[in-house]
Amino acid sequence: MTPPRIVITGAGAFSPCGAGVDALWSSARDGVSAAREIDFDTIPDQKVKIAASIDAAMLAPYADRLKPRMQDRVAGFALIAADEAITQAGLTEADFGEDCGVIVGSGFGGAETLDANYLKFFTQHYGGSPQRLDAMAIPKIMTNAAASWISMTWGARGPAYCISTACSSASQSIGLAYQLIRAGAMERCITGGSEACVVAGVFRAWEMLRVLSPDACRPFSRDRNGMMLGEGAGILILETLEAAEARGAEPLAEIVGYGTTTDAGDLLRPDPDGAAGAMTRAMADAGLRADEVGYVNAHGTATVANDLSETQAMRRVFGNRFDEVAVSSTKPIHGHALGAAGALETIITLQALRNRLAPPSGNFGELDPAIGFEPVHGAARAFDAPAAMCNSFAFGGINASLILGSAARL
Amino acid sequence: MRNDNATDNEKLEEELLDLVAEEGMIERDALSRDAQLAELDIASADFIMILMAIEEKYGIYISVDNEMADLKTVQDLLSVASRKILEQSEA
Repeated sequence: MTPPRIVITGAGAFSPCGAGVDALWSSARDGVSAAREIDFDTIPDQKVKIAASIDAAMLAPYADRLKPRMQDRVAGFALIAADEAITQAGLTEADFGEDCGVIVGSGFGGAETLDANYLKFFTQHYGGSPQRLDAMAIPKIMTNAAASWISMTWGARGPAYCISTACSSASQSIGLAYQLIRAGAMERCITGGSEACVVAGVFRAWEMLRVLSPDACRPFSRDRNGMMLGEGAGILILETLEAAEARGAEPLAEIVGYGTTTDAGDLLRPDPDGAAGAMTRAMADAGLRADEVGYVNAHGTATVANDLSETQAMRRVFGNRFDEVAVSSTKPIHGHALGAAGALETIITLQALRNRLAPPSGNFGELDPAIGFEPVHGAARAFDAPAAMCNSFAFGGINASLILGSAARL
Repeated sequence: MRNDNATDNEKLEEELLDLVAEEGMIERDALSRDAQLAELDIASADFIMILMAIEEKYGIYISVDNEMADLKTVQDLLSVASRKILEQSEA
């Protein structure tokens, strides 16, 4: 039996660029960065001052829907994005139930709750006056809270998973949703990732690792010196083509390929073999030739190591066609959203494919001879091929590559 | 003036040598300036600790860029780190 084709019928994004897929896409397409100066009261000697964060004002319009006593920001972001995706897909009560799963990843889970709780805990430990800790800390912090709140809000009673594989969490969530629907475990899935990590404790921990740029995120550029932290949520509705057609829903694109591998090498240093393996497997799964992929939304963190390794891997996968593929990293626009990165970037890839336009890589300064190519920069570039790829590579050596195919091929 | 700068720089490099020895857990006397970092078994984790110690001692944040990634010898590390410390101190 031929496995069913899996389509995307809805997308939702809540990102530092604003609420909605349109805000994320127009920012990426026009190169408008959400980078802002950030100053934490609880980091006495904060060195890095930029991040792409979601402030309280952005959440204010959703006050009547969110439950801050029970939900960390990470669940709120996911619910806002899910609402947009479900609305676009036109799902009604009958479309949820046990045939609809939820696979939503997160790297840190309820980071703000954890941070605030530890701060109170240690203030008291070091002689400060006792403060009441958050009684709901556990259900707010647990990484699966976002997935569970989505299932509860809409009555999705099928399989629920929370993939927590650092920066590959969301890409692997979407990939697993695609595989499980194809295997018949469910008919449709609400999938993606959510991260609310721009809080003092997490920010300081990233600063310690020396991978945050002190000035700007410049993917693939010779003068790159680190990443910019971001946050947000991206949610997609995936379902079988048959189920979408039965409801009269319009497929936005098809998921045509997914590949995932593990380096099994170094915890932090990326291995181009592992990255190339994920992309090659995704290409084989999709049955596509190199010239059929017109755009790659690269992981492109702007660390020295990632961008070099990812370039070596892409060269191996695309061979002598590599120079014709439009490649960019949109992280200078929305920041590195860690466990939500793959979802926000898959949504940008989806919009790029639908508009046949590769968004530019921000802040590109000069060609790095060690890398030997220039990403799309300055302005968006048109492309014509019927498929686009989105990469995520995580600490822990976990690589994930998704390929979307144009709805016109259905 | 030039001599003062040269002395300052020499003093800074000597301090940095102490710091590399301590953070890299290498005997100070065995730490020669032309030693290869790889041969001293300074792994990426030690390198991060050295940058952390520089932040604590000098208040300077250095992230990993191409220049830091290309360091080969102890002297390379001393030269690049001392230059970045002096640049950022003046800024």
